[in-house]
Amino acid sequence: MGMSLQQIVFGVLSIISIISALGVILSKNPVTSVLCLIVTFFTIAGHYIMLNAQFLAVVHIIVYAGAIMVLFLFVIMLMNLNAEIEPQKRSWLKYAGAISGGALLLVLLAALREASVSSLQPGAVEIGLISNLGKTLFSTYVLPFEVSSILFLSAMVGAVVIGKKEGHES
Amino acid sequence: MNELQLIPLLPFIILAMASVVTILLIAFRLSHTVIQVTGFLMMCLVVFATWYVRDTLPEEVPPLFIVDGQAALFTGVIIFCVLVIGLFSYIYFEEREENPKEYYILLFLATLGAAILTISQHFISLFIGLELLSVSLYALIAYLRNRNNAVEAGMKYLVLAALSSAFLLFGMALIYMEAGSMKFSGIAEKLPQVSSSPLFLMGLGTIVVAIGFKLALVPFHLWAADVYQGSPTPVTAFIATISKIGTFAVLLRFAQTIHLQQYPLIIAIFSVIAISSMIVGNILALRQQNLKRLLAYSSIAHFGYLLVAFLPGNEAGTEAAAFYLIAYSITLLSAFGVITLLSSREHEAETLDIYTGLIWRRPVVATILAISLFSLAGIPLTAGFLAKFFVLSAGVQQAVWLPLAVLILTSVIGLYYYLRVINTLFGTSGTADVMQKTVHPFFHVSTYITLVVLAGMLFWIGVFPGLVLQGIRLFLLLH
Amino acid sequence: MQQYLYLIPALPLAGFLVLSLAGRYLSRNFIAGIGAGSICISALITILLSARFLQSPPETGAYTQVLWHWFSVEGLVSNISLRVDSLSLVFICIITFIGALIHIYSIAFMREDRDYARFFASMNLFVCAMLMLVMADNLVLLYLGWEGVGLCSYLLIGFWYETPGNYRAANKAFVITRIGDTAMIIGLFLLFKELGTLYIPDVLARATQHFSSGADGVTLIAILLLCGGMGKSAQLPLQTWLPDAMAGPSPVSALIHAATMVTAGVYLIARMHTIFELSPVAMQITAIVGAVTLFVAGCSAMVQTDIKRILAYSTISQIGYMFLALGVGAWSAGIFHFFTHAFFKALLFLAAGAVIETLHHEHNIFKMGGLRKTMPVIFWTFTIGAAALAALPLVTAGFFSKDQILWYAWSAGGGHPVLWALALAGAFITALYSTRLILVVFWGEMKTTPGHLPSRVMTVPLVILAFFSVAAGWIEWPHNILHVDLFSEEVQHVLPATVLKEGLPAEIVFQLIAVVVSLIGIYSGYSLYYGQSPLLQQWKQSPTVMSVRDFFFSGWRFDQLYDALIVRPFLFITRINKSDISDKLYTAIANVSMLLNRQFSVTQNGSLRWYVTGVLIGILFIITLQLLL
Repeated sequence: MGMSLQQIVFGVLSIISIISALGVILSKNPVTSVLCLIVTFFTIAGHYIMLNAQFLAVVHIIVYAGAIMVLFLFVIMLMNLNAEIEPQKRSWLKYAGAISGGALLLVLLAALREASVSSLQPGAVEIGLISNLGKTLFSTYVLPFEVSSILFLSAMVGAVVIGKKEGHES
Repeated sequence: MNELQLIPLLPFIILAMASVVTILLIAFRLSHTVIQVTGFLMMCLVVFATWYVRDTLPEEVPPLFIVDGQAALFTGVIIFCVLVIGLFSYIYFEEREENPKEYYILLFLATLGAAILTISQHFISLFIGLELLSVSLYALIAYLRNRNNAVEAGMKYLVLAALSSAFLLFGMALIYMEAGSMKFSGIAEKLPQVSSSPLFLMGLGTIVVAIGFKLALVPFHLWAADVYQGSPTPVTAFIATISKIGTFAVLLRFAQTIHLQQYPLIIAIFSVIAISSMIVGNILALRQQNLKRLLAYSSIAHFGYLLVAFLPGNEAGTEAAAFYLIAYSITLLSAFGVITLLSSREHEAETLDIYTGLIWRRPVVATILAISLFSLAGIPLTAGFLAKFFVLSAGVQQAVWLPLAVLILTSVIGLYYYLRVINTLFGTSGTADVMQKTVHPFFHVSTYITLVVLAGMLFWIGVFPGLVLQGIRLFLLLH
Repeated sequence: MQQYLYLIPALPLAGFLVLSLAGRYLSRNFIAGIGAGSICISALITILLSARFLQSPPETGAYTQVLWHWFSVEGLVSNISLRVDSLSLVFICIITFIGALIHIYSIAFMREDRDYARFFASMNLFVCAMLMLVMADNLVLLYLGWEGVGLCSYLLIGFWYETPGNYRAANKAFVITRIGDTAMIIGLFLLFKELGTLYIPDVLARATQHFSSGADGVTLIAILLLCGGMGKSAQLPLQTWLPDAMAGPSPVSALIHAATMVTAGVYLIARMHTIFELSPVAMQITAIVGAVTLFVAGCSAMVQTDIKRILAYSTISQIGYMFLALGVGAWSAGIFHFFTHAFFKALLFLAAGAVIETLHHEHNIFKMGGLRKTMPVIFWTFTIGAAALAALPLVTAGFFSKDQILWYAWSAGGGHPVLWALALAGAFITALYSTRLILVVFWGEMKTTPGHLPSRVMTVPLVILAFFSVAAGWIEWPHNILHVDLFSEEVQHVLPATVLKEGLPAEIVFQLIAVVVSLIGIYSGYSLYYGQSPLLQQWKQSPTVMSVRDFFFSGWRFDQLYDALIVRPFLFITRINKSDISDKLYTAIANVSMLLNRQFSVTQNGSLRWYVTGVLIGILFIITLQLLL
C-alpha cells in the first residue's frame, strides 16, 4: 500500500520532532537543548498546518519559537550556563526518572494499543482560519476569552512581584 | 449569550473588578490599610451580589458556566474564607518590610479562579479557572522571596502544577476525541457509546492526576508539606481551603454530570487514592515538629476522608462533603489564624517549641488552637466530629467498607499527633513571648475577634448542625 | 410554665460554669451568692412549677421540652429533651429544695475553706447532673446524668484531697459504683437491642407488648438495671463505698450521700417499673436485696463510733427499706420513704456537721456528750431528725413512710413474712441506734469543749428541715387511721397502684407491732447507753458480744471479703500478666505507625525531581489499574 504525500510528510515531521525532543533532554549543553527545542516547536507547527490550523501554527511559531525561545537563549547565554557548572544530581534519581518515564511510555502504549480511533470528519476545514476563529472567540466564547485576559493579568502581576527590584532594604 | 445571562455572573464580575480596583489603588499610592478595607468591602459586595441574584438561580450561561445552588454554596464558602484570610493578611504583612499591596491583587485573582471552578461545566472553563488559580498561587507562594523557602516552594509548585496541567490537558483531549464535546453534559450524552472506550477511560484517569495534585492526594501529595511551609501563612491558609474547595467543587460537578461513580475503574482509583491518602497523611504527621507541615499532612489525610464521602456518589455523600468542607475550612482558618497571630517579623510561628506552654501565656489564642485541633481530630461537640460522622454515614449507606474501616483506624492514629500538639500547649517551660504590636490595634482586635468567632462557630456547628445542614440542603436543591 | 423547664437544670449549670471559670477572681460573698443563689432560684421555679402541675395536670401527664436536636441519622434520633411527670416532680422538688437549703448551710459551713469556689462549682454541677438524671426523657440522657452525679460524687468525696485517705475513699466510691454502672449500661444496650428505642415512654409502652411476663430477656435486663441501682444506692453487695464516702464535707454527705444521689437507684427502678413488673424474679431479688441490706447495714450502724459513719450505715439501711418497698410492689410507699427520708437524713447530716465543726473536727461520738445545753438548736433539730429516723409514731414523717413499708412487706403482692420480719428487726435496730446517737452525743458529761457555735445561716436550714421531718408525713396517712393519701394519689399517675394479698389480718395489728417494736428499740437504746443497770454493762463487755460488735463494726467484714475474693486474685493475675498481652496489640499498632512514619518521611526529601517522579508513579498506577480492570 503506497503512502500518500500527507502520510510521508507526517512521518518525517514526527520523526524529526521525536529526535529533537530527545535531543532537548539528552544534550549536556543547554544551548543545544534550546536549539533542539526550537526545532521541535517548528515540527509541531508543521503538524498544525497539516491539521488545517494555520493560525495556530503561525501563532505557535511567533510566540514559542520566536519570543520565548529567544528569551531562553538570551538567559542561558547571559548567565553563562554550561555543563561544567551544572550541579551533579544524585544518580538514583536519574534512574528513578528514567524507569518511571519508560514505564509510563510502556503502559501508555499498552493502553492505547487497543484503542480504535474514529477517523476525523472532514468538512470542518474552515475552522482553523483566522476569521472563523475570531468570530467564535468573540461570540460564543467571549466569556472564557475575557477570563483568559484575567489569567494574563495575574501572570503579569506575578511576574512583576517576583521580578521587581529589592525595595527599601538598606 | 445576552445581558440577562450576565446577571447571575454578577458576583464573579465584582470579584474580578476587586483586583482591578486594587491595581488602581496601588497606582494612586494609597496605603495598605485603604487597600485592605476596600478589598474587604468589595468582598462584602460579592456576598451581597450573590444574595441579590439568588432569585435568578439556577441559571445556565452557555456554554461554559452554570450558576446553581451548589455553585453558590461553594462560592459562598470561598468568599467567606477569603474575607477571613484577607483579615489575617493585614496583620501578617504589616509586620514585614515587603510591600504587601500587590498581594491583594493576586489574592483576589486566585479567588476568582477558584470561584470560576465552582461554576464550570466545560473543560475550557475548568482549565482556565485552574490555571488562574495556579498562576496566581505561584506568585503568592513566592511572595516573600527573601525568606529562605519561599522561592523554592513557589518553584516546586510551579513545575508540579505545570506537569499536572499537562496531564489534565492530555486527558481532556482524549475525552474530546472520543466524546466530541468538552461540555460535561455533552460528554454525558455520548456516554453510552464511549463509556467502555479505553481512550475515554484513560482520559478520565489522567484528569484525576490534576485533581489529585490540587487536592494534594497521595501519590500527588509530595509538594504539600514544602509549599505549606514555604508560603506566607495566609497563603498557606488559602491553599489549604479555597484552592481545594474550588477544585473539589468542579470534581463534584463533573462526577455528578457524567456519573463518574458508575465506573468500577474510577471507584478503584479513588478508593486506592483515598485509602493511601488517609494512611500516608496521618502517618507522615506523627512525628512532625513543624506545625505548618503537620497541618499539610493532616490536610492530605482530611481530603482522603472527604473522598470517602465522594465515593458513594449519592445525595448524602454530596451533603456530607459540603458539610465537611465547611467544617474543615473554618477549622483550618482558625488554626492558621493563630499561626499568623503568633508570627513575628523574624519568625513564622511554625516550630512546635514556640507553642510550649502557650496556654499559660496566651490562654485565648491557645484555646482557639486547641479547639481547632480537637475539631481536626474529630472530637465530639466540635464541627469536625459531625463532619466525619456524616461522611461515615454516607459511606455506610453505600457500603464502601474498606475505606470506612481505614478512615476509622487512621482517625485513631491521627488523634496521636493532634493531642501531641495540644499537650505541647499545656507544657511547662515556655519561651518568653516577644511580640511587638506594631499593627494598628483595630486590626489586631478584629483578628482576635474573628478567631474567637471562628472557634465559636466550630462549637456551634458541632452542637447545632441543623441550620447548616438545612442551608446546604436548600442550596443543593437549586439545580 | 412548661417553657421554663430548662431553667431548672440550666441555672445550676450556669453557676457551675461561672464558678469554675471565674471562681478564682470572685469574692467569697459573690461565690456564695452565685453558688447558693442559682439553686435557690431553681428551687423557686420548681415550686411554682409543681404548684401549676398539681393545680392543672397536663393532659399527657407530663411537661416536656425539647432542648436540643443534635442530629438524626437512620432512625437514631439524638435529642436532648426534658420530661417531668409526677414521679420526676417528687425528685426535682427534693433535689432543688433540699439542695437549696444545703447550699445555704454550706455558705457558712465552708466559709473558712480555701477552695470555696471549687466547692460550690462541684455542688452546682452535681445538682445539674442529678436534675438531668431525673428529668431525662430517654435513657441515654439519664445515663449521662447518672455518670455526671458519679463524677461529682467522686470530686466531692475527695474534696479535701490533701488529707491522705480521702482520695482513696473517692476512688473506692468511683470504682465500686462503676461495677453497677457497667451492668446498667449492658442492660441499656440489651434494652435498645430488644425494643429499638431508649425513649422512656416508648420503652415502657413497647415492653408490655414485646415481652411476656417472666421472659428471660426482660428478667436479665431488669436484673442488670437493678445492679446499676445497687451500685449507686449502696445496696448489698456493693454497699461498702458509702461509709468511706463520709470523707467528704458534711453538706456533701447530706446532699449526695443521703438525700439525692444514693436514691438514684430507687428512681431508676421506679422509672423502669414496667420492666420490673414483667419479671417477678427481679422484683423478688430487689425485695430480698433491700431486706438483707437494711438489716446488715442497721447492725453495723449500731456499733459505729464515728457519727457520720453511723449516719452512712443508717442511710444504706433506709435505702434498703425503699428497695424492699419497690420489690414487693409497693411503688408509692418506696417513693414516699425516699421523700421523707431525704428531709430527716439531710437534717441529721447537717446537724452532725455542725456538731463536728463546733467540736474541732471530732468525729467520735464517745468524745462528744453533754451538748444538750450548749447547742440547744442543734440538739432539738437533731433529736427531731433522729426521732423521724426511729419512726416515732404519729409525730414524725419517718413513721408514716416506714409504717407503710412494714405493712406492705407482708401484705403487698410480692410480700412475705420473712421480709416483714427482717424489716421489723431493722425497725428495732434503727430505733436503738437513733437513741444511742442522741444519748451519747447530747447527754452525759462534756468531753470536748465546743468552739464557736454555728451561725444563723447554718441553723435556719436545720429548723426548716426539722419542720419538714415532722410535717412531710402528714400528706399520707395509713388508710385505717385517716383517709389522706395526697402523695400516693399523685404518684400513681405514673406508678402502678399497690395490689394487696387476700385474707390478711387487720392492718392495725401490724401497726401496733411496729409501734411497739420501735418503742422497745428506743427503750433498749436508753437502757444500754444511759441506764445504769450493771447486768447490761457487764453483758456489753462480754467476749461474745465484743466479737459480734467488732464484726458489725467492720461492716460485716465485707471489705476483707472483697479483698480476699476479688482484689487479691486480681492483683495476682496482673502480676502474672505484667507485660499486658492485650496491650501488645496497641503497642504493635503504634510501633508499625512509627516505622511507617520513618519510611514515608524518606519520601519527603525536598527534591523536585523526586516529586515529579511521584506524580509519574501516580499516573503509572492509574493507567496500570485501567489495564488490569
